[in-house]
Amino acid sequence: MGIRDVDRTLPSNRLVFEVRRDMAKFQRFRGDPESVMAEYGLSEAERQAWRTQDIRKLAELGLHPYFLPQVSRLIEGGAYNHNDSPAARLYARKLLAD
Amino acid sequence: MAEIVAVTALSHAPGLTGWPDRASARERQNLFDGFNEVGRIVRAAKPDVIIGIANDHLLNFPLSNVPDFCVGTAAHWKGPAEWFRDWLNVPPYALPGHAEVARTLVREGGRNGINFAFSDELMFDDNWSVPLKFLTPDYDVPLVPIHMNCIVPPLPGPERCLEVGRTIARIVRDSMPARLRVAIMATGGLSHDPGGPKYFDVDEEFDRWFLALFEDGDPARVVREATIERMMAAGDGGTTELLAWIAALGAAEGRRARTICYEPSRALRCGMGAMVWDMGPGP
Repeated sequence: MGIRDVDRTLPSNRLVFEVRRDMAKFQRFRGDPESVMAEYGLSEAERQAWRTQDIRKLAELGLHPYFLPQVSRLIEGGAYNHNDSPAARLYARKLLAD
Repeated sequence: MAEIVAVTALSHAPGLTGWPDRASARERQNLFDGFNEVGRIVRAAKPDVIIGIANDHLLNFPLSNVPDFCVGTAAHWKGPAEWFRDWLNVPPYALPGHAEVARTLVREGGRNGINFAFSDELMFDDNWSVPLKFLTPDYDVPLVPIHMNCIVPPLPGPERCLEVGRTIARIVRDSMPARLRVAIMATGGLSHDPGGPKYFDVDEEFDRWFLALFEDGDPARVVREATIERMMAAGDGGTTELLAWIAALGAAEGRRARTICYEPSRALRCGMGAMVWDMGPGP
């Protein structure tokens, strides 16, 4: 999986793009992800991946690689994002663990 | 005839401002010293405007519509975009743009084979927020940001980026106001892999090879050897940001570059480096 394996039309790509640009939408996504996922027309496979924080599955479905660490930050927060931060650990656990 | 008075290329990884304390003291000091030195060199050249060239991190252009190069035409900029503030640990800042320079780039680019997109509503993340903190910490030099596509294939390749850099230099020289002093600042790279298996690693061998290639300074060799494939092998998700450095090489028009600092920083999840070109009389 890499930047050549992206499904540019995947609804989750649009969702991640927009929630980072709009704090009100980000807060809404935090509080009620199901309604935001419905709004963007995510497939059931995508929704299930989000529900289970399955970053690897989102990658397999075609989420852009650049968004993958950002997914970990959407979930765990982005402050002080060092290698042992909650977001980095989530990324390692979900994407790199065998 | 305007003049390019400084050209630099440097990394912009968020850890440099967001979690620098997680790097070793030696690594941190070397990078702070190096980035501050680049700032001194750029400010000593007394630029009236900085033309920046950097990857858009899928912040301004959705995957439905990604321009290869987009010139920021606003008279004022601000950053960092709100969601990125705590990540970057950079307080909100504002700085002037330069609409006249930006519009000249778009207009003359169109006459010289570059279909620049343009926008006065660009959001800034690490691409500008990290380097500006060191280069112009008072945010007092106008910036014309050029957001480029480095991560949504097909990418503008090395040859195209070199050509775009050369064309920018020609536009500065031929179409901008006499005595205007222009600095070029490319940001991105070196090896890193956001979203990939090497997220917590860097490719020091690639980075040192790339820096040596640029110090050698032969544009034909850079185009031949610094291929997209080679960059992607060093970190699929981000190393192609070095395409911005190739545009800077083009803008420097054959002058020699020197490395100011380099650290293969796993703590910052990026090969961190900076170069400047000696902008004395041309070769």
